[in-house]
Order: sequence, then C-alpha cells, then structure tokens
Amino acid sequence: MIEITGLKKSFGDNKVLKNINLKIEAGSVVSILGPSGSGKTTLLRCINFLERADEGNFQFGDQKINLKHVSKKEILSVRRKSGFVFQNYALFPHMTVLQNVMEGLVTVRKIPKAEACKKAEDTIKWVGLADRKDYYPSQLSGGQQQRVGIARAVALNPEVILFDEPTSALDPELVGETLDVIKKVAQTGITMIIVTHEMAFAERISDKVVFMDGGVVVEEGSPRDIFVNPKEERTQKFLSRFIQKDMYYI
Amino acid sequence: MTFQFENLAESLQGAVTYIPITLKLTLVTFVWSILIGFLIAVIRNYKVPVLSKFFGAFITIYMGLPLMVALVIYHLLFLTYYEKIALFFHISKSINEINPLIVGYIALISTNVCSYSETIRGALMSVDHTQYEAGYSIGLTKAQTFFRIILPQSVPAIVPGVINNLVGTIKGTNLVSVIGIIEVMGGAIYPCSRTYSYLEGYIAAALVYWLISFILETIFRRVEAASNRFRRQLV
Repeated sequence: MIEITGLKKSFGDNKVLKNINLKIEAGSVVSILGPSGSGKTTLLRCINFLERADEGNFQFGDQKINLKHVSKKEILSVRRKSGFVFQNYALFPHMTVLQNVMEGLVTVRKIPKAEACKKAEDTIKWVGLADRKDYYPSQLSGGQQQRVGIARAVALNPEVILFDEPTSALDPELVGETLDVIKKVAQTGITMIIVTHEMAFAERISDKVVFMDGGVVVEEGSPRDIFVNPKEERTQKFLSRFIQKDMYYI
Repeated sequence: MTFQFENLAESLQGAVTYIPITLKLTLVTFVWSILIGFLIAVIRNYKVPVLSKFFGAFITIYMGLPLMVALVIYHLLFLTYYEKIALFFHISKSINEINPLIVGYIALISTNVCSYSETIRGALMSVDHTQYEAGYSIGLTKAQTFFRIILPQSVPAIVPGVINNLVGTIKGTNLVSVIGIIEVMGGAIYPCSRTYSYLEGYIAAALVYWLISFILETIFRRVEAASNRFRRQLV
C-alpha cells in the first residue's frame, strides 16, 4: 500500500537518510526501532511531508509521487489520507478537546457542524475521554493529551496513521493508557507506522519491525525475526538488553 | 510670568477644536500601519522569497529614521516634485489644493508600519513551530493553518504591543506641525503668540493628549481583556 524507494534526505552535509526502501502492506502495523539519530523520526516526517526528502519515489495506494518534484496538491492529498501523532502531542491550545478533534472534520472534510460534532464525540468517547471533551489541553495530563492527539488523527478516517514516539514524553505511569489506545487503533485495521522505544509493545503489536541505524534500514522482519533471531550484529547489540530480559521470562 | 488660568482655558479651547485632526491622523495612521504591518509580518514570518528580504532591509533602515526627519524630507520632496508627480498621474489640481495632511499620513504611516510589523512578527514567532505541523498534518492548507491555528494563538501577544504602539502613534502625530499642519499642539499654542502664555499652552496640549491617550487606551484595554479570555488556555 505504501512503498518507499530510494529515499534520501540530508540536512546540510549531514546525510540523515541514505537510500531507504520500505514496503508497508495495507492494514499492517509497522514499528520502526533504532537508536537516537538513526533517522527514524525524519523518515516518518518525510512520509507526511513535514520534512522534504531530497530524492526518492513514494507510492501511496495508487498515487505515485516523485519526492524530488512534489507538488503542493500532492502533498495536501497525502496529508489528507494520513494522520500524524506527535511526540509532544501538538494539540491546539486555544481549542477544547472537542474543537481539536472537530477542526479537521469541519475545515478539511467540510462535514456539517452537527454531524462533525457527533463524530468527534464518538471518537473522544472511544479513547476514553468523554468526560473531558470541554476541557482545554492545558487542563489535561500528558497521557490524556496524547489520547486526544490520537483521536484527532483517527476521527478523520485516515488510511494510515504515523506515530512519532507517541509515549516518550510521558511519565511511566501514563504510558500504559496511551499504549492501550494505540492498540485499539491497531485493532480497527488502520495501517500504522510507529516510531517507538517501547520494545515490548512493538513486539506485541507489530506485524513487521524495522530496525534502522545510521540512516539505513539495517534489518526488517516479523517481530519474532527481529527480537528473537536478529541476524545483523548491530541489531543484536541494540536489542541485547531487551532480548536477555525477554529470555528470562521464557 | 505667572500662571494664568484664563490663558490655560483659552489654550484648552484651541486644543480641543483640533482634537478631530489629531484623532483623524491617529486613526488613519493606526489602521493603515496595522494592515500593512500585518502583511509585512506575515511575509517575513513565512520567509517569502525576495519580498521577505526586501521588507527586512526596509525595516532595518527605516527604523533608524526619526519621524521629524522623515516629515521634513517628504515635505520638501512633495514641494519640489509635486508638479512632475501630478503630471505623471494626470492630477489637475494645483499644489495649493492638495491637503498637506497627505504628506503627514505618508510619513506617519511609513514610520509606524515598522513598529507595528515588528510587534506582530514577534507575536507570530511566539507560537511553537509544531503548531504549524499539527495543522498541516490534519490536512489544513497553509492559509487555513495560519488563520485558524496560528493567528488566534498570537492575538493575546499582539494586543498589548499594539496598545503600546498606538499610544506612541498618538504622541507622534504632533510632529506634523513642522510641515504646517495644525493639530492639538498647534491649536493649544496658537493664542500664546499674543499672550506669551506658552506654559499654559503646552500644559493645555499635554492635558488633551493625555485625555485622548487615556480614552483610546481604556478602549483597547477592554479588547485586551477580551483576548485574555483565551490566553488563559495558552499555558
């Protein structure tokens, strides 16, 4: 469904992504793991054009895009088919929870207000925040804010949702409630690409795990391939702590 | 020289008659400066090629030009080149039929544009960059993101700065007296040439300026209070 070929991106002399090739099946959940600075967040941002790739081809459904010469129209069309969940939530602070979720429905989808309100309320209820719908983001905990962030993305019925380290700004107690919601999203069958450091979660939820380092995809495969039998030495080293802990449980 | 209250009263009367001129100068300058300043701030905020650099340079250079100097330069240029300009634009009026206020407006607006645009640009810059990305990510266009997400969040930061600029604008309008426009200041000291009661004249002018500033400031503080309603949310 999504296919990236030959994606390259550099910031000045710093080559962040060197020739990335990645295929993501419709309805699958893909986790991208890797150390800091490996380019995983940049890759995710390139998919939503929050960052412009220098080179490469991108196929989204039957839409083919040359990343070097991408038009504004193509960017808008990709963004309207995808959702993005930010590390720091990035909710609109001047809007209530309900308005945050409604914004895309009303302004982008042009859905009548009453209908949009109903849809937004359902989504907010679905992430477990029905009683908080008239609160402002500053009145919510981090975990609640991130669940609103997820609701904002889900309400637009995107074909794919991109999660950029959705739990790394949260304190440990709040990670659980957010992961539960992400799991719920996965069960709906939306395609998901998740950049995360939550290894155990990635193992349980993913159909495919991608390990990146130094701007390249080092290894990809099923969670079992990556977590139990990693082939590459770099992957083994990165996962060593996690794998040992996991084996202890076995 | 003793302070004569009857002279003060006479000066006050003179000053009050010219309040409409000062108000007109202030409000016309305010409206145009804030509109043009807003446009320049947006252009610079989005780093529009060429234009952004041009206005950046314009503001850097123009900020250093005192209003008084700008006024006399424009006035001289106007006097010297009016006929050529009139010919070019096919204006059939003679120089005496042209209201000198126009030169005053041009000098006041071009000077004020700089400070208003910098105030607005600063407020726009105070909004976190991820807010733009969040807007784009839900499919909003650039314009929709600006008007629905960025601008509402910068209003609470724009208002206090604009009030400050407005008071500056009011106080700046009296400089147009150097090109022969009579406003509150001119009206206040008009009787003084006969009575030599300059102290009374200046005090009368001060009182009237203070009154105008006070009224406009009060109105705009109300606006500020209204905009603070949603600043509370912007923690």
